[in-house]
Amino acid sequence: MTIRHPGASWRGALAAALVVTICIGGIGTSGDARAEYADVVINNYSDAAGMRPVIFPHWFHRIRFRCKVCHADLGFQFKAGGNEINMVKIIDGQFCGACHNGDIAWSVENCNLCHSGKPGTPTQVHESTIQKLAIQPQAGGQQ
Amino acid sequence: MNRTLRIPALALAILGCAPFGAAHAQNDKGKAIYDKVCVACHSAGIAGAPKLGDAKAWEPRIKAGIDALYESALKGKAPAMPAKGGATDVPDADIKAAVDYMVAAAKDGASAPAAAAAAPAAQAAPAAPTTPRPAALSFNRLLKPASKRNPPPPEDGIHDPDNDGTHALQPPLQVFESLPRSNAGNRVDWVKALDNNLIAPRWDRTDPAAAPVVMDLNIVREVKGSMPDVVYPHKQHTAWLDCSNCHPQIFIPQKGANQISMAAILLGQKCGVCHGKVAFPVSECRICHSKKKNVMPVKNAQAN
Repeated sequence: MTIRHPGASWRGALAAALVVTICIGGIGTSGDARAEYADVVINNYSDAAGMRPVIFPHWFHRIRFRCKVCHADLGFQFKAGGNEINMVKIIDGQFCGACHNGDIAWSVENCNLCHSGKPGTPTQVHESTIQKLAIQPQAGGQQ
Repeated sequence: MNRTLRIPALALAILGCAPFGAAHAQNDKGKAIYDKVCVACHSAGIAGAPKLGDAKAWEPRIKAGIDALYESALKGKAPAMPAKGGATDVPDADIKAAVDYMVAAAKDGASAPAAAAAAPAAQAAPAAPTTPRPAALSFNRLLKPASKRNPPPPEDGIHDPDNDGTHALQPPLQVFESLPRSNAGNRVDWVKALDNNLIAPRWDRTDPAAAPVVMDLNIVREVKGSMPDVVYPHKQHTAWLDCSNCHPQIFIPQKGANQISMAAILLGQKCGVCHGKVAFPVSECRICHSKKKNVMPVKNAQAN
């Protein structure tokens, strides 16, 4: 409900902000928002696991599927990072794995196609209203 | 691309019109002026301005001849083009360079298609418009310039260019160029794209033939302030979404049961669950606030 996330995510967000600032040399936490509107960065576990964060391109998927397929049939919540997706679930055919199974879409061995974000990028919806504020409210606006 | 563009540029040089370096510098100048002045209208197509790189819009204008274009740029053109785009202190030559730059960009947009405009071709062939801009001089430094919209993944600031997979991803513009554009978000009018069958997103994960049951019911929400009332169309929403996506969690399906405010929406609640994150953002006020209030004399204004 609030813009900021309490508790645990703070440490991560701060660390991430630091890394991002160093990596991009950009403007604060969201870098310079050049990525596509609605690109979702998912970094629940990736950084900790030594993988690049996942970037989910909404635009690409909405050309191919209606919102309902993922958000009703597959159970994706309307919230960046709000689905506790991990590779076991994907391999078992849940979430991304419902299509990324080598049948409907390319399968899980193509790690780097999803895990393609700059390391340390926090979980976020890119270009969201909050991000578009010229002056950022605080580190890692995640909504 | 550079290579293909250099050939006409070299041809120019050989003809003795202008040495390559000068043509290139001219183009840089044009781009700088474009970024400073013309971009305000010509990037988004405001008030009928032909957009940068929009080959279709530019074609008839280019056909009319480069001198006519110079004339319009220098002296202005009805209904909305002011003389020199409003920057009357800029020298004529620079304005012409900006015109050349935009004409070249339009031709880049058209790329192959043979004929187009043979006549003024010699005037405006030169090099690619990909020079880095001095950021401190940009038209509005807090606003994302048109040239930074819809970049390919390796340049978008969040994808890691060192990752091989990044380079295999589809660049958005490759697709967006064929879709109706809008002024915000992805700058694609997704609803129109769907209505016009330009895209065919599946309604079912596996069954390409499955189709939604579209519900055509408008809900009018009267708003307190001076803004026009909101018309919420179920039609466009049910084409993409299932009822359960919104009801009952986000919206209680009952008249008067939902408190909605722009503050909540801006914070990502109610309509803001999607609008401002993936569906068209809240900057597009009038797409929702579309129903004029009954105009009445001031003394009766309380009626709403």
